[in-house]
Amino acid sequence: MPPREEDALLRSARREAIVIVVLWAVALVYTVTYCALYGYDRTIDDMTFVFGFPDWVFWGVIFPWTLCTVFTWWFCNFFMGDEPLGDDSKVPDDFTDDF
Amino acid sequence: MLEDGITTQWGTVVALVIFIIATLWFGAAAQRAVSRGSFLKGYFLGNRGLGAWAIALTATVQSGGTFMGFPALVYSFGWVVAVWIAGYMVVPLTSLGVLGKRFAQLSRRTGAITVPDLLRERFDDSRVGLIGSLLILFFLTFTMVAQFKAGAAVMKIVFPLDAVFASAPVDEAAPVAAADSAAAAGTDAIDATSIETTITAAANATAETPEAAKPAPPVDYAFLVGLGTFTLIVVGYTMFGGFLASVWTDLFQSVLMLIGVVILVCIAVPAAGGLEAATRQAVAATGDGFVSGPGFIAPTAVSDDAPGPEQLESEQLVAEEQVALEQAHAPVRIFLPVSLAFSFFFTWVYGGMGSPAGMVRLMACNSTGTLRRSIVLLAAYNMLIYIPLIMICIAGRALMPNVQHPDEIIPRMAVQMTSQWTGGSLLAGLVLAAPFGAVMATVSSYLVVIASGIVRDIYQRFYDPHANEMTIKRLTYLSMLVVGAIAIATNINPPEFLQAIIVFCGAGQAAAFAVPGVMTAFWRRATAAGTIASMLAGSATVVGLYAVGWLPDGMMPAAFVQDEVLFTGGAFRPIYLFGIDPIVWGLLMSAVAGVAVSLATQPPRAEIISNLFDAEPEAEPAG
Repeated sequence: MPPREEDALLRSARREAIVIVVLWAVALVYTVTYCALYGYDRTIDDMTFVFGFPDWVFWGVIFPWTLCTVFTWWFCNFFMGDEPLGDDSKVPDDFTDDF
Repeated sequence: MLEDGITTQWGTVVALVIFIIATLWFGAAAQRAVSRGSFLKGYFLGNRGLGAWAIALTATVQSGGTFMGFPALVYSFGWVVAVWIAGYMVVPLTSLGVLGKRFAQLSRRTGAITVPDLLRERFDDSRVGLIGSLLILFFLTFTMVAQFKAGAAVMKIVFPLDAVFASAPVDEAAPVAAADSAAAAGTDAIDATSIETTITAAANATAETPEAAKPAPPVDYAFLVGLGTFTLIVVGYTMFGGFLASVWTDLFQSVLMLIGVVILVCIAVPAAGGLEAATRQAVAATGDGFVSGPGFIAPTAVSDDAPGPEQLESEQLVAEEQVALEQAHAPVRIFLPVSLAFSFFFTWVYGGMGSPAGMVRLMACNSTGTLRRSIVLLAAYNMLIYIPLIMICIAGRALMPNVQHPDEIIPRMAVQMTSQWTGGSLLAGLVLAAPFGAVMATVSSYLVVIASGIVRDIYQRFYDPHANEMTIKRLTYLSMLVVGAIAIATNINPPEFLQAIIVFCGAGQAAAFAVPGVMTAFWRRATAAGTIASMLAGSATVVGLYAVGWLPDGMMPAAFVQDEVLFTGGAFRPIYLFGIDPIVWGLLMSAVAGVAVSLATQPPRAEIISNLFDAEPEAEPAG
């Protein structure tokens, strides 16, 4: 059987999936670590507020959330590729078709 | 004030009725659209024509939880819930970006209409499809029940049903004994639609009544009418318009939700004197836990001041829990230890990626460009929904410190905040439409997936492959009606733990389908046996950990008895091994089983894999 070349969409999808999973891991480690260190067992007296948010909520959640949103915009506009999804005619109404 | 309240609510009824009519109109329009071409592909997949807005705002895990369970958690436990939800910062990319392209492509190459279709064709084995559809039916039916309860609860708040029953019966179910329902409204102070703070006093009085001396709980007619109306609407429009009706109304509702939440945050935060002032006021009434991890826990688990959302609705249950807690020497309650904060980064991310209802939307996507745009839209949408919701609920705790049902905080805030405005009631209607719409959207999308599972993946696949279109249509409608009837029947005595059930089903689906999804999309060596093992190991792990957690204390194996009650507690709670949520263990087991069994079994036929993983001969690879 002559080897066929790997599908272009598969290649780009895999590359994108890897970046996304790395992003998820980074976000998880940052947010959970930051909030664990600065957000647990505090009192209101030693709390400062950033734009009305408790300091640890702002730096541990709101700030990375904003960064992730900006990253998502960049990723979708400048990193993800476009490929044709292929022929859409293969929709059998029953199961007699061999596909 | 009571009269004001009722006047306000009649205004919201007008807004809601307009909203419902619009929804039904979408159902009718969708029916016209799907009547072109193949019934199956049109009805269950919208002819694969979904655009960016439709994918972004409907393929996600918003549900009754978004507008009821989540706000209730913020209201009850405080700022730490921001960490609980923080996983959503990457959800647009993870839930649409990882599997999206490949699912859209593979479903075209195989002609798949449903997720089990896709699994079957990808692995060339009908058993994979069958097990997939059975798992989908199990988890979706389970979670549907919780969603119907949420829908009925919103209807009850929106429509002044207690007032209706007490005075002029206008609803179809109104002929039920008005005296009974008036008694119900009076006895069950918690269910009064008034948002007077006096409900606290009344509820306290009720709570102090000895349980044994009380008559059987009165039937809550307002809830039942809400339930019936909700079911009629949602089953009706879904039945007529199928997948497209579900998607269009979902989209419409999502946009309304956004408008509602943005308006509400703009009113609520200034009304509380700003976020910092609201926080300080809330902390003064609760404790430092409200502004810090692991979250505020009311001094006693059954306190009237800050009940957890799972403890509400049934005083009897609260009493039982109290007894149980006393017997167990009141274990320490911790809402969100760091181990659970870690776990929920898995829950949202893999819950989104592994949701069959979401996967179907990916399969219906019309192009990769659409997918890219929809991810950006969803990212913006999530930021504008979740962060303001937190702010609203913090303000809510300052403004309305004693809400008995935290599940209702958003609708109650909406009514309260706009009650003094001229024309404010229409705005309240808009805000109230948000939770209502979220629940309808979720129920509707699940209905489509359940019906397609019954009709296509089970009936057509195993029973009658050559069924004609009329049979398929009838069976589809019948399955939706049956699911609606089951939901009503189970909700006559509504189950507790709305949020707990949603979390359970999300975890179960994720553990069953996230890893197999990745195997389907990216791993050539994955085999049918490996995929089945992965689905079963993942879901069995989650179900098992919940089942053990549900055992009464006496029957619990000693190794599993925990000193601390994590998260919201309640009778329906899992075992958190090492403090970690079952979803993480489920995903781990699913991955281990999938890889190990795949490697231990015969590699799949090269020809099948090549057709799905290699460039199609006629389409030259781009490079």
